[in-house]
Amino acid sequence: MTGSAAPALSLRGISKSFGRHAALSSIDLDITPGEFVGLLGPNGAGKSSLVKILAGVYQPTSGSILLDGEPVGSLAGHPRVGFVHQDLGLINDLSVMENLRLGAPPLVRLGPIVNRKAEQKAAEAALSTVELDIAPSTLVSELSPAEQALVAMARVFQRGARIMFVDEVTSTLPPSDARRVTDTLARSAARGASIVMVTHKLSEVLDVTQRIVLLIDGRLALDRATAGLDHAALTGLLMNHENPHSSAATQPVASHGAGEVLLELRGARRGALGPIDLRLRRGEVTGIGGLPGSGLHDLAFLVHRTTKPSHGEVRLAAGAATALVPPHRESQGGFDDHTVEENMAASALSRWRRPGGLLSVSRQRQACQETARALAVDPPDLGYRFGALSGGNKQKVIFGRAVLRRANVYVLCEPTRGVDVATRLEIYSLIRGLRDDGNAVLVLSSDSADLFTTSDRIAVIYDGVLTPARPAEDISVHELEALL
Amino acid sequence: MTQETHERAPTGSRARVAAKVSVWSHDLVIKSATVTGFVAIFIVMQFWLSRGFFVAAPRMLNIHQNVPVLLLATAAVVGLLAGAFDLSISGTATLTAFLAVGLTAQQGLPFPLVLVIVLGVGVAAGLVNGLIVSTLNVNVIIATLGTGSIMVGISAVYSGGAVVTSASGTPLPGWFLDFGRFTTKLPLPLQLVLVAAALCWAFVALGRVRPPAALAPAWPVWRAVLVLVLGAVVYFVFDLQGWIKAISALVGLYLVVVFLIWVLMERTVHGRSMKATGANPLAARLAGVRTGKETYRAFIGTGVLASLAGIALAANQGAASPDVAGGFLLPAFAAAFLSTVIFSRGLFTVTGTAIGGIFIIWVAQGLIEAGLKFTWTGIVNGAVLIVAVSLSTLLQRRNR
Repeated sequence: MTGSAAPALSLRGISKSFGRHAALSSIDLDITPGEFVGLLGPNGAGKSSLVKILAGVYQPTSGSILLDGEPVGSLAGHPRVGFVHQDLGLINDLSVMENLRLGAPPLVRLGPIVNRKAEQKAAEAALSTVELDIAPSTLVSELSPAEQALVAMARVFQRGARIMFVDEVTSTLPPSDARRVTDTLARSAARGASIVMVTHKLSEVLDVTQRIVLLIDGRLALDRATAGLDHAALTGLLMNHENPHSSAATQPVASHGAGEVLLELRGARRGALGPIDLRLRRGEVTGIGGLPGSGLHDLAFLVHRTTKPSHGEVRLAAGAATALVPPHRESQGGFDDHTVEENMAASALSRWRRPGGLLSVSRQRQACQETARALAVDPPDLGYRFGALSGGNKQKVIFGRAVLRRANVYVLCEPTRGVDVATRLEIYSLIRGLRDDGNAVLVLSSDSADLFTTSDRIAVIYDGVLTPARPAEDISVHELEALL
Repeated sequence: MTQETHERAPTGSRARVAAKVSVWSHDLVIKSATVTGFVAIFIVMQFWLSRGFFVAAPRMLNIHQNVPVLLLATAAVVGLLAGAFDLSISGTATLTAFLAVGLTAQQGLPFPLVLVIVLGVGVAAGLVNGLIVSTLNVNVIIATLGTGSIMVGISAVYSGGAVVTSASGTPLPGWFLDFGRFTTKLPLPLQLVLVAAALCWAFVALGRVRPPAALAPAWPVWRAVLVLVLGAVVYFVFDLQGWIKAISALVGLYLVVVFLIWVLMERTVHGRSMKATGANPLAARLAGVRTGKETYRAFIGTGVLASLAGIALAANQGAASPDVAGGFLLPAFAAAFLSTVIFSRGLFTVTGTAIGGIFIIWVAQGLIEAGLKFTWTGIVNGAVLIVAVSLSTLLQRRNR
């Protein structure tokens, strides 16, 4: 759908293939000034490939890019176009002002001496474009996640960008922070900027964008105004295409009788976290909601016993073992240069040890194959390089690794971060399966859907302190989201 | 690269086959670029050298004389796979060479006991490195630079800075010196085992290559045929029999060590866990791997392999001179880094290190045979390493 104005950016027949794998086929897209577009699609549908082509990381196999009607090779380094990626590209140990100056023309007074006053002014002006009222001398590491995202956007606007691509920036943000970022983006669009936001969060797209573009299998499956679309319609479109057998609905779980305690935290403290009292029982899923900075992730490591408490104790029942899905799959999860199979098998190698001490390659392959199939890892090739997978597929592999470990206490931190709707449902049903097999499961998430769909009881962590866990059916979504 | 080869939307089947073949061959070209380059050099040398290059006895002698370097390369790659850049291996090799000769000649200890002590020194070196790097958390390069220097220092103090030979004291046992001679060959049954092993390896190695679609259904059969044809070509054209007969006992021992280390790294739980530790220590730890323990294991492995290199040095030379293994560090690491571009997509491999090490030695020795002074060896080694790795890296990156 194009507005009345001439498009600021046009894509004509953009295709990209990697070897035999067609990532994008003949994409046509027009973006007009002042438009806020949501770009959706399942994992591996080509969203990231499209953004990378525009940013000049990849060369398209064919097709052309037109900026204000003029053909350009790529948009890399073009002052009118900017990109904000999930990792933001900010340097945490530098101040906001220093980060804003990086890559910008130097403001100098005399020779190489910088003009600090001019820099200060420029920084304040840049921050005002994203309605951020912070001192430019603040260190980036001291900012909240939303503020960091906004600084990254200010840096793009400062270069005079009128078109901005925002790639999964909100997927790691807690709901209120994500809302702040999307609202700011919406107001920038109202002032005439074109925004393209890549995301998995349907409600976000429905709330703030004017137009929705849906990529499925590298093709444009939908391109129309947001008005008139609703959550159910989008979910239907996203679900339709894949995993027809994932019938597991998103209904809350029925409570089962919980068994013996497998892991217990008693007055456990570490840094700003705690004291925490928590019991994980057989056959029960405990959900803990919280923001990334609230101690949620630290608690995951404490329960998994990667870190030791400074006070109190974390006691694991005799014969129990833990498995972890870490919150950051890139840095904490994968071995980029190793294959999918090696990544999946890493936690469970001793399962396939034969009497002589050698590994049974065939048994390992079979187990990994079954898990990869159950999770619909795409591409379904165990020899594929892990680092070349899309983000959601990396998450599937790491979840598969935890499942293969055959532990009995599962610590799942942000288990559905960045995965598409179908996989999300698959992961939910796997979590329930783990519980029904008599394991203790702990789900730590900043996404309330994770908690409501999987957990028997829910607690919230706030500033390092855990509220008492309550049965999931006694808590309403609104109550939980107010706590987050 | 190699991974983006899974297939989506069905197109015309003939186009699909063509695309598969082109991807397959492209992949093969990139992975074998380094080997092709080396072979090209050797072919040039074949015409350049007065005696030719592909002659069994002198080439095998090159390998025989450099078994200590090749063993050090194996030590280096074990460390690198586990994320431990162990610079102390040449120090360990020097110290153990001195001890192997000196404890026998000067202290008069029985030789089997000396061998046990020497291997024990390798284990101890690994434990100390593990303690400093894993437990005390010191940067691995600084730590191993330090321990390596200490071991060279200990050997200098022990020998008083002089060459230690067995001329003045108890001589080294005859069987040991025989073992170090090029004229001691492998017994016939072992030669046959070696041929069988080489054929099996070629068969398995070909299995890792994605076959062209046309050959895919009966790929094992095609592989067997290919291996046998290649074997026959090598046998009749390149005098395979002569090459196998030229293998000395020491080279045979080296091949066995390479095979055992390959099994350890690729087919055991410990090897996999070590590789995971090297690839991403944090992720490995969170996945349940005891990374501290694996670091210890890796250092013990490099220490024992380095002490084997010291023993091989003693067998080769029957004497030990100050910092005798110091000059081996660069070619050893060069071989290990070459392995990342020999039939590999940027990962260190044990077999690639062996191939890379032998190629480096052949290039340097071939140039010397052609009249280059031996003092140029360092320059040749450094240049070969940088040119080979940068060319292959360029090729791989272009295709990403």
